[in-house]
Amino acid sequence: MKISMRWLNDYVDVQDLMAAPEKLAAKLTAAGIEVEQIENLAARFKSVVVGHIIEKGQHPNADRLSLCQVDAGQGKNLQIVCGATNHKQGDKVVVALPGAVLPGDFEIKLSKIRNVESYGMLCSEKELGLAAESPGIMILPKDAKVGTPFADFMGFDDVVFELSVTPNRADCLSHFGLAREVGALLGRGYEMPLADFKAAGGSSKKFIDLEVKNSDLCPRYAGRAVFKVKVGPSPDWLKSRLEKVGLKSINNIVDVTNYVMMELGQPLHAFDADQLAGQKIIVDNARKGEKFQSLDGTEYTLAGDELMIRDGNRPVALAGVVGGLNSGVTEKTENIFLESAHFLRDAVRRTARKLGIETDSSYRFSRGTDPEGVVLAMNRACELIQKVAGGQIGSDYHDFYPHRHSHPVIAISHSYLEERLGYPADKKEFETWMKRLGCQTKESKKLGGWEVQAPPYRWDLEAAVDLVEEFARLNGYEHVPETFPPLQTSPAPHGAQYVQENHLNDLLVAEGYLQAINYGFYNSRGAAQFLGPTERLKSVGLPTAAQGIAIKNPLSEDTDVMRTSLLPGLFKNFLHNYRHGLEAGRLFETGFVFGTSDQGYHESCRTALVAWGQPIDLWATTKTERPAVYDLKGSIENLLAKLLITSYQWRKPKPEEVPSFIHPGQAAALFMEGRLIGVLGTLHPSLNLEHKLRHSVAVGEFSFADLMKGQPRLPKARSISKFPAVERDLAFLVPDSVPAEDILKEIRKQSGALLEEAWIFDVFQGGNLEKGHRSVAYKMVFRDSQGTLSEEALTQLQKKLVEGIQKRFNVQVR
Amino acid sequence: MLSEKLQAIHKEAVAAFNAAKDSKDLYELKVKYLGKQGPLAGLMREMAGLSKEEKPLFGKLVNEVKQGLEDHYSQREAALAQAELNQKIATEALDLSLPGPVRARGARHPIQKVINEVVEILSRIGYSVRTGPMIEKDWYNFEALNIPADHPARDMQDTFYIDESHVLRTHTSPIQIRTMESEKPPLRILAPGSVFRCDSDVSHSPNFHQIEGLLIDRKVSMADLKGTIAYFVKEYFGPEIKIRFRPSFFPFTEPSAEVDCSCPICKGKGCRMCKHSGWIEIGGSGLVNPKVLAHCKLNPDEWQGFAFGFGMERMAIIKYGIEDIRLFAENDLRFLRQFEA
Repeated sequence: MKISMRWLNDYVDVQDLMAAPEKLAAKLTAAGIEVEQIENLAARFKSVVVGHIIEKGQHPNADRLSLCQVDAGQGKNLQIVCGATNHKQGDKVVVALPGAVLPGDFEIKLSKIRNVESYGMLCSEKELGLAAESPGIMILPKDAKVGTPFADFMGFDDVVFELSVTPNRADCLSHFGLAREVGALLGRGYEMPLADFKAAGGSSKKFIDLEVKNSDLCPRYAGRAVFKVKVGPSPDWLKSRLEKVGLKSINNIVDVTNYVMMELGQPLHAFDADQLAGQKIIVDNARKGEKFQSLDGTEYTLAGDELMIRDGNRPVALAGVVGGLNSGVTEKTENIFLESAHFLRDAVRRTARKLGIETDSSYRFSRGTDPEGVVLAMNRACELIQKVAGGQIGSDYHDFYPHRHSHPVIAISHSYLEERLGYPADKKEFETWMKRLGCQTKESKKLGGWEVQAPPYRWDLEAAVDLVEEFARLNGYEHVPETFPPLQTSPAPHGAQYVQENHLNDLLVAEGYLQAINYGFYNSRGAAQFLGPTERLKSVGLPTAAQGIAIKNPLSEDTDVMRTSLLPGLFKNFLHNYRHGLEAGRLFETGFVFGTSDQGYHESCRTALVAWGQPIDLWATTKTERPAVYDLKGSIENLLAKLLITSYQWRKPKPEEVPSFIHPGQAAALFMEGRLIGVLGTLHPSLNLEHKLRHSVAVGEFSFADLMKGQPRLPKARSISKFPAVERDLAFLVPDSVPAEDILKEIRKQSGALLEEAWIFDVFQGGNLEKGHRSVAYKMVFRDSQGTLSEEALTQLQKKLVEGIQKRFNVQVR
Repeated sequence: MLSEKLQAIHKEAVAAFNAAKDSKDLYELKVKYLGKQGPLAGLMREMAGLSKEEKPLFGKLVNEVKQGLEDHYSQREAALAQAELNQKIATEALDLSLPGPVRARGARHPIQKVINEVVEILSRIGYSVRTGPMIEKDWYNFEALNIPADHPARDMQDTFYIDESHVLRTHTSPIQIRTMESEKPPLRILAPGSVFRCDSDVSHSPNFHQIEGLLIDRKVSMADLKGTIAYFVKEYFGPEIKIRFRPSFFPFTEPSAEVDCSCPICKGKGCRMCKHSGWIEIGGSGLVNPKVLAHCKLNPDEWQGFAFGFGMERMAIIKYGIEDIRLFAENDLRFLRQFEA
């Protein structure tokens, strides 16, 4: 909200602070009324002055341009080119001299227009930011003094604060309201505006009948007629004040209602009284299905629970939100009925939110207005209307106010105050601050404190703790000392999810993976296209909703649905990096994916990885690129080893079960504890084609909960054998259909306890080998924990192994 | 005669040993002169024809020559070995300006890094982490936190809606409610996590991260809150960093305070980061509103609390000088690698 310091000065003396507005701003900010910006209006019109057109001629090279000689008080006449047509010799105009910066960062420079030099610009109201549209340049009254800074001429020697008022401080949403707060802060008195007028018109009550049917939502409704007004433009002083606080001038009547709202914080509405059917105002709910057209022409269909202002047969305003087109003030309006009411916060909020309308009026009502200020605001507006639009004010007025409003009394003890603050609070000081806030304070011996009643405009002061805050902020938060709360009980452990996520993430970082964090939502179309049929994901242990949970009000299509998998996001990250020339990389993400179950929304944690290319390494033993999928698989195996998980298997999914973004021949699903818990593989070649990828890309996603089940597992120490180990190699010619690991498993199974370790150390294909076969070499390390192995026992074991394997797998030993 | 022969053998062998080019050569000469088939062994065999008196004398002579040759051999062997080692060393120089093998290095995302740093500092004074769902019930995200439906405070947080009664959590504060419901006070918890606001521009991301702290105990004051945050800020940004409270409004706390710290970049002198004010806003805080305690079935006359919340992106921006909020979600390797420390 914008506050003009000059306007504020009408109610509290801040003249001494005009030259140092930042001091007042700091005070307000320190008290919780944040001043976001201070604008010195005079500076806005730097190098803009009043000028006098001495001569108006024709531009020699352009029919549509005039060439003027202008006296702008610079000691000599300035030659200025002008494109407008509404000016004539002798006019007083607004001249922007070189160096001026007009709204929109439009800098005025000495320039040549069609080969003729122009020493400035004659400005229109639009160019000065004073109107949305203007027909030509601004012509000033004849008596305007040449050379006067335009800011001075307009009364813009003012400072405007942009305030950020928190929702609890509705009482500060007006100049008078803020003056009250400033008065309290500075310990200065403040003056209430008065309504001083002659009520020479007829009876308002006889003219318009009032009926309030819904007094629980409308505790007070006042109204007064003003007869025979002349609707027209507002005078400059009114326009200027409204402009300063960011309101556009509409006509003198509407301007006055806005002015009083900005002055007192009470929203008002002026009806064209002659449009009110049956000369009636009824405060009542809407009829279900009824149509209502607001002032700006938008049509709304009403549900029936909106609080409305109605006339004899139709709605004429959405109470506290917006007036109706059918009864607004127009140029033809002669008699008006001015509404000043107190509507309940909830009623206005509900309507405004449901219909998606926020007006200056609904903004204030929904935060809470002052029920006691209703009549003053109405009369103030009547006075000003008479001043700017003539007419006669109704001799009497409606004031429906069956129950006088007052806030409940708050009991607060001195010890409570001190305990919440954490420092000693002076009793007298508390009483002083409460008084300055307009609270009724009574000391209570019984309470060891006070009984405090907040003024009607302070809806936020409901409980003792609210008064603690008032004391703390007015006294200054800088007085709050820094103490340390003692720890009375033993600390609790971190939640398992946090601990386990960190553990897993640390292990993946050690594997050379960079952690990615993507948004929890993504583009539904893009993700569905990438993921393909979701039953395939389910078949590898990653249950995935076909339709993600939709967001009702997404920012854009890019984030319209909660993610069902981490891989679309990681793939996008990969593409981003790849396109920036990063031909090798490893990324992982641990995060939640979303779905629906019988119990409602379901969030499950996953870990996903993407790896591509290899870092450039001069020590690499081969220059041919290793399929990235082995890097990724190796990392997962290291991870499992570090999690002390030894009993797992890689299973080859059937081609029709491989997720469609993975190469059907290069996929492996992880089987653990009786079920599949995720998959890894090479990106499907069609994606390489589509995205012009020259490298093989590996991807994988795993169920976090399954991976981390039973973690942390404790290592168990074993004794180390004193006896020597013996190594043996075996190589087989293996058909491509037999997985190399199956033979390894068989070696382990058959060797029993004597085998300490076994691994595949060489795979060779091509050369003289039979087609469709490869040579796979296994190394075994045998050790007997009880003694040295005899050569004989070893030879026998090896023989048994070879026979067993050949028999089982149709392979030949080499 | 024999002794002349002996002298000749000795002379020849010494010359041969001296001429040997390398230790292999030398060893072959050793075998040649000192071996079983060598001339000395031959002379010993010839001794059979000598008289009983001559035998020991000549035997001694042969042994002396043999010992002399063996000693000479050892000397030569050592010298050659040394020369060979020197030669080997001289040819083995490596260019250690070449790098070691390249292994991919991983790193935590800066947001995760900040979360862990904050958790570590506050764990030391008894706080432990709790987590909660992101699709949250309206009750936990709003109502229980004293933000009723249609309240203007809801406009403070632009909300993504899932259905009538569920939203994407706009803060991690629902975790306080869930913890107060399920655990017995006193409590000291931290709730880090991903939060969502329907807002996106140069300085706002629709999905960002927060950490919230909650303390529930029998007597809790603003001073305790300020002391705790001051401890955290000094640990996190440095011992010279000060904090400042500014009054504010959050429906779930009363009194409420925005927390500023003296700018860690310019040490309060004024810079671009702090918009030349010397102060940087880092979060919100306050005493837990008694209405919130009551919603969690805690008696406000018995239990009190304070809560504070920080934005993780903002922390990372301040601590690591990150200039563009969009970098956090882009996951560019060149960005992520900067945080491997």
